[in-house]
Amino acid sequence: MKVLLMGHPNVGKSVFFNRLTGANVTESNYPGTTVDYTKGWMKIKGEDSELVDVPGTFSLDPKDKAEEVAVTMLRESEDAKVISVIDASKIERGLYLALEIIEEGYPVVIALNMWDVAGDKNIQIDIDNLQRILSVPVVPTTAISGEGIKELVSRLKDAKPVEIDTIIENAGGLT
Amino acid sequence: MAEQSSTGAIYFAILGIVTTAFGLADILVTAGGGEFSYGILEIPGDLFRGGWGGVIVLFAGLFYLSGIRNFGDIHQFAKVVMGSILIWIMAGCDIFAMITESIPSWEEEAGPWFNTLPGFLGTYAPPYSPAVLLLPFSLVVIYYIRKRASGESRGGNSS
Amino acid sequence: MTLGVEERWDLIDKISKATITFGKYRHTLKDAIGELTVKPMTGIPVAIAILYGFWSVFGSFAGFFTDGFFVRLFDAYWLPWLQEIFPGQGGWLYAIMVDAGGIESGEFVLSSNCLESFGVLTSGLFVAIGIVLPAIVIFYLMLALLEDIGYMPRLAVLIDTMLHKIGLHGYAIVPTILSLGCNVPGVTATRILETKKQRFIMMTLLAIFIPCGAQIGIMQDVVPDLMGWILLYLIIGYFIFGYILNKIVPGKAPEFLIDVPPYRRPMLSNIGKKVWGRIAGFFKVAIPFVLLGCAIVGGLYQLGVIQWLGNVLAPVFVGWFGVPAETAGPLIAAFLRKDLAVAQLSVIDMTPYQMVTAVVLVSIYFPCVATFAMMLKEGWKELLGALATLVVVVFVYGGLIHLIGILLGVA
Repeated sequence: MKVLLMGHPNVGKSVFFNRLTGANVTESNYPGTTVDYTKGWMKIKGEDSELVDVPGTFSLDPKDKAEEVAVTMLRESEDAKVISVIDASKIERGLYLALEIIEEGYPVVIALNMWDVAGDKNIQIDIDNLQRILSVPVVPTTAISGEGIKELVSRLKDAKPVEIDTIIENAGGLT
Repeated sequence: MAEQSSTGAIYFAILGIVTTAFGLADILVTAGGGEFSYGILEIPGDLFRGGWGGVIVLFAGLFYLSGIRNFGDIHQFAKVVMGSILIWIMAGCDIFAMITESIPSWEEEAGPWFNTLPGFLGTYAPPYSPAVLLLPFSLVVIYYIRKRASGESRGGNSS
Repeated sequence: MTLGVEERWDLIDKISKATITFGKYRHTLKDAIGELTVKPMTGIPVAIAILYGFWSVFGSFAGFFTDGFFVRLFDAYWLPWLQEIFPGQGGWLYAIMVDAGGIESGEFVLSSNCLESFGVLTSGLFVAIGIVLPAIVIFYLMLALLEDIGYMPRLAVLIDTMLHKIGLHGYAIVPTILSLGCNVPGVTATRILETKKQRFIMMTLLAIFIPCGAQIGIMQDVVPDLMGWILLYLIIGYFIFGYILNKIVPGKAPEFLIDVPPYRRPMLSNIGKKVWGRIAGFFKVAIPFVLLGCAIVGGLYQLGVIQWLGNVLAPVFVGWFGVPAETAGPLIAAFLRKDLAVAQLSVIDMTPYQMVTAVVLVSIYFPCVATFAMMLKEGWKELLGALATLVVVVFVYGGLIHLIGILLGVA
C-alpha cells in the first residue's frame, strides 16, 4: 500500500512523516521546508506500507515548482491512499484541497492537525458531523506531541473513494 | 483584580524607568568611549555590548513603559512580557559570555589548560552588567503570566 | 465528477456552517506577543535583540573553543610536532602538507602559527576543525531554535516590505536565511518561489552576496573588527543588485501572502536531529574540500602559478580593486571553500580597508563548487545568467568599493 501525506504548506506533514517512519526529514516551523518528496516505510498491521511526504500545496492547480512536484506525485500514484492534513484552525481552506483530492477518486483520511491551536483559538469542530458529511474518516491530531497519530493510522483501512454527489447530498445540496 | 493590576502597573512603571535609565547610561558611556563602574554595576564600553546592548536595554525599558497603561489588557500586558524577554536575552548573553570566559585559562603557550578555581569563581563576582542586575526584577512578570493563565482557565475574563 | 471552483467553495461553506462553531476569539498571550514581533514599531526592536543574542552567543561559544583551546592546541603543539617529524623540510611535499614557511634574509624559516603555514595538515585542519566546526555547531543550533519556535516567518513578514522593492516577497527570506548556514540548501529552497524570474533573482543574489556559516565563522575569528563593514557591503549589494535585477529581468514577481504559524515550544529532539544532520553534512562535504583546496593552492604556489597569476592580474587587483596582487591565491581557494580563502587572506599584509575589500571580493566573486553544482542542477540557463551577472557585479561593485575607499581617504 502506498500512502501520500498531502496538505497546505506548514501544516505538519513532515512531522507526521517522521513520527510514522522514524525518518529524519527536516521539520521547521515555517512554510516551504519540504520542497521535494521523501519516501519512507511504515508498518500498518504488520504490512509494510510506503509513505510519501509530499511538498505542501494549496490546490491541485500548481503555482510553483514545489507544488508541481506535489501534483505530479499524486497523479502518478493512482492506487495510493491519501492522508489529507488540514490545519484545524484554518479548516475551510484545507477542505478545498481535500475535496479536490476526493473528487479525483482517491481514498482519503482527514487529519485535523494542530488541534491544540484550534482549541487555543476557541474553534469547535463537530467531528462526527464532519465525518458523516464527508463520508471519510476524520481524526483530530496534534502531530508535534503525537496525539491522534495512532488512531489516524488505524483509520486508514476505512478510507474509500467517495462520490462528490454523496457529499453534496449530505451537506444538504448546493445553492 | 483591578487593585492587583495597579500594583503590577506601578511595579513595572518603576522597573521601566530604571531600565530606560540603564539603557541610556549604556549608550552614553559607550559614546563617551570608556567603561564605567560603580558598586556592583559595570557598564561595558565597547560598541557591541555597550552600544547595541544599550539600545536593546533601552527598548526593554520603553516596552515596559508603554505596556503599563491599561495593564490588564492582553495586548498591553504582552508589551511588558516582551520587555522582560529582551532583558532575558541580554542577561542570558552576558551570563553565557561569563561562563565561556570562566573555564579556559586563556594561556597561549604553556601552563594549565583550564582556569584555576579562584579565577573561575572570580569571573562570577560582581560587578555585573545592567541587564544582569535587572534580571531578577524582570522575572516578576512570570508571576503575572501565571496569574493570568489561572484566571483564564477558571473562565474569568481578565481583559 | 469534479466541481467548479465556485461550487467547491459553496460546498465548503455548507459543510463548515454545519460543523464549525467559532467561539469568542480571545487573544492569548502567545497571539499578542506574535503580533508584537510582526508590527514594525515593536518588531524591529525585537529583531535587533534577537540578532544581538544570536551574535553574542555565537561569539562566546566560538571564542571559547577556538581561542580558548584550539588555537593553543594547533599552534603550540600540533604545528611544532608536525614540523619536527614530517620529513623533507623545505621540499615541495613538506610545503604542501605542513609548512610553506617563508624566506627571511635569505634563509628558510618555519611559520609560527597554523594560519601562516598554508599546509594541508596544519592550516587545512585548523581552519576546518579549529575555527569552522565550533562556528557552525552554534550557528546551526541557534538557527534550528529560531526555526522551531516559529520566529523565522515573522522576520520574513517584517522584512517583506524591503524585499518587495527587489521583486521578491517575504518568502525569499527563507532561502536567504538557509543560505547563511550553507548556500546549497538555500538554492534548493528557491523552489518555493513562484516564477522563474524570482527564482533566478534569488539564486543569483544568494550565490553572490550571502556568506555561508563557515565563512561567517572564520571572519568572526580572523577579522572580527572588520566584520561589520564586510556584512554591510554585502547587505547593501544584495539590495542594490536585487533592485537592478528586478528591473531588467523579464517576467513577473507576483504578490504572495505568508502564513505566519503560531509560536511553539521547540522540541529538543527535533533540534538535535537537525543540527546533527547538518554537522554530519559538514564533515562529509566541507572537510574534504577544505583539505583539497589547501593542497591545490599549496601546489600552485610551489609551481609558481599563483605568483604568475598575481603578476598578470596585478593591474586589475591593484589598479581596479585596490588590493595586493597576492590575493590571487586565496581567490583560487575560494572556488573550493570560502572559509579557507578568508583564512589565507588574513595573513596577507594589507591595510584594514584592503582587507574589507578583499574579503568582500572573495565572498562575491564565485559560488563555491558545491553551490555551483547545485545551481547547475536547477538549470544551466539560470546558471549562465547568474555567472554573467556575477562577473558584472564583481567588477562594478569591487570597483565601487575601491572608489568609496578613495573618497573616504582610507583606501
